[in-house]
Amino acid sequence: MASYTYTPTPDQGAKASVVAYLVVSCVVLLLMMVFGLLMRLEQSQFTAIGGLWFYKIMTLHGAGMVGIVAIAGAAIMWHFLRQYVELSTGIFVANLVIFLIGVVMILASVLIGDFHAAWTFLFPLPGTSMGMWSQGAAALFMGGLLVIGVGFVLLHLDIARAIIKRYGGLGRGLGWPQLFGPDDGNAPPPAVVASTMVTIVNLVGLVVGASILVMMLVNLYVPTFEIDALLAKGMIYFFGHVFINAVIYMAVIAVYEILPRYTQRPWKSNKVFLASWTASTIMVMFIFPHHLLMDYAFPKWFLIMGHIIGYLNTFPILIVTGYGAMMIVYRSGIRWDMCSRLLFVSLFGWAVGAMPAFIDGTITVNYVMHNTLWVPGHFHTYLLLGMVAMVFGFMYYLVKPDENARDSAIDVAAFWGFVIGTMGFTMSFLYSGKESVPRRYAEHLPEWVPYDRIASYFVILLLASVLVFVFRFLTRLGLAGRDYQRASLARSIAT
Amino acid sequence: MKLTSSHYAARMGFGLGVLYLLLATPVARDWMEASMSRHMLVQMPLLVVIGILASRLLPTHWQNSVLAHLGGAIPFVVVALFASTYWMLPRALDAALNDPVAEVAKFISLPLLVGFPLVLAWRRLTLIGRGFVWTNFISMLAVLGWLYIVAPVRVCNSYLVNDQESAGWYMVIGAVLLFLWWLGTLFVGGGVGPDKPDRNGTGTSLA
Ligand code: HEM
Ligand SMILES: [Cu+2]
Repeated sequence: MASYTYTPTPDQGAKASVVAYLVVSCVVLLLMMVFGLLMRLEQSQFTAIGGLWFYKIMTLHGAGMVGIVAIAGAAIMWHFLRQYVELSTGIFVANLVIFLIGVVMILASVLIGDFHAAWTFLFPLPGTSMGMWSQGAAALFMGGLLVIGVGFVLLHLDIARAIIKRYGGLGRGLGWPQLFGPDDGNAPPPAVVASTMVTIVNLVGLVVGASILVMMLVNLYVPTFEIDALLAKGMIYFFGHVFINAVIYMAVIAVYEILPRYTQRPWKSNKVFLASWTASTIMVMFIFPHHLLMDYAFPKWFLIMGHIIGYLNTFPILIVTGYGAMMIVYRSGIRWDMCSRLLFVSLFGWAVGAMPAFIDGTITVNYVMHNTLWVPGHFHTYLLLGMVAMVFGFMYYLVKPDENARDSAIDVAAFWGFVIGTMGFTMSFLYSGKESVPRRYAEHLPEWVPYDRIASYFVILLLASVLVFVFRFLTRLGLAGRDYQRASLARSIAT
Repeated sequence: MKLTSSHYAARMGFGLGVLYLLLATPVARDWMEASMSRHMLVQMPLLVVIGILASRLLPTHWQNSVLAHLGGAIPFVVVALFASTYWMLPRALDAALNDPVAEVAKFISLPLLVGFPLVLAWRRLTLIGRGFVWTNFISMLAVLGWLYIVAPVRVCNSYLVNDQESAGWYMVIGAVLLFLWWLGTLFVGGGVGPDKPDRNGTGTSLA
């Protein structure tokens, strides 16, 4: 058996490019959250912007959020991964630039061209607008997604290159020699294992996504080249699901890298850890059929596979990560600051958010729940209280003034505001889902409106808290790039 | 250069020349070109592969100086891209069947304008460039396969619709297999590039 001890490493500041990623993330995240609020206000009948604007905003919110959390996740992954392997800053910056070009295309498509077929661009909707938007607008939207995809392909190719160069192959990046052979203690650190997994699944997802996007672009202009609608749905959900799932696997690197610094206990890449990441590498690619359970035309084995793998994949990484975090924190006398709080709560948010998906992944439940607000309830929980909490935790970490800096009462209040606001907001979604309120409806029946109104108040609380987070980060930006000890050592080790 | 390797180069070159001439015989051409799948997916790739293997036999310093004089890896990739795209067009297939000039052009351009530039460029590319070429090629092959499968009309005068459909399916299957193979090479650590300039047996990896 390998033995694990903690070896302290100096804490590195973020490169300017990482800071640029995070600043863009803050701004876009805030804007998209305001869009989210606008949708809830409309459903609450506090406003009357009308269906067209609701769906335009919904399209921007979906595409914008998915894109921006991917950017934020990539920033976290890149910041830590480059401490182990030699990454190209040029490619990293190129990805951000390409992303912004794609964003401009999407904005133009929606705001000028009135495209509003949702971020999932489900075939055949983009091409059958009934005159609501032009072919050009649809092409611009799908082209924008394609452009963003190209940037991420480049980023992942560079990561693959660097990991192969340092460790000798992606198999080794996942720690296979230590997983399948004797554990010599030389398995790559968790940050590398996670980056390897994300790179593999995203490369596969993006190639499939690019293919269906090109097919739909061809079909848009030459409709006689017909697309099988089920095939299109399968490919789109494969790509979309892998991509959005990968985001949390990038962000969790912050937990692996930062929490151990507080308690000086190592985060082990032991066999169980490696096994769960390898298992999820495969399962993440076969889990998407839980979105297709209602499509009876799919072969039965395919849907049953989705059901089973959906069940199985809920757990490995989540449990390994949750358990790992407990081991780091348990009786360590950890000092809670904004960063450690947010990172710790993110694991709770992830776990809580995964449960509704587990339930919805059950075929019989799915028939009644799937197109209700239950589903947004699920993914908003794990993305906001899980993924986004990791991002803000990382931001607080980077700009923490010094090792023993104390948080002001405002920040602590914002932390609780964020947790309570998010829980209230997502519980309203879940409760509405339980009451069979459909998702993606601009107008709600009078019976549903009370839930929407309650949700709106929680969203305002959540937004106010996020404003504090963002304000703190932006006003202390100068600290992000410096090298110094940020984590306050736990009471058990501090002298 | 060691004697054994030049010996090997001579034999390899001879073998490739024989294969090339064999492909060019009327019997082989008639058989290959009788079906769209064999024409597009066996004969033409073989010509490219012959070009690739033959170019690798050229002396390293010579390859390097050509690369240096003609502007590096990217122009070479672009040339290969355009030349190979042209031969994916149904009209080009028809031309090759009906017009001897086009047939000769095919036999010359596939090794020379696709295989050769790829070999030169490959040496300079890292996994970023190589992976970019592979991922693009694979997704385009799949999309092209789909186009051939669903095309509402017969795209070639010389081939039947069902031939075109099976060619499409082979392309889709080929794309999937290529993708798996390429990912496999990453798992075992191949293709990071760039190849060392002094290494003998140039452009050693395909991935
Ligand atoms: C303040 C925070 C947020 C609010 C108020 C908010 C609000 C909403 C609302 C009201 C909807 C439409 C629900 C429906 O009726 O179908 C929605 C959909 C969605 N949201 Fe959020 N959201 C927030 C944060 C996020 C985050 C952080 C993400 C991260 C990825 C996200 C991703 C999405 C996606 C993908 C959809 C689905 C769009 C579609 O159905 O096409 N949201 N959100
Ligand atoms: Cu899902």
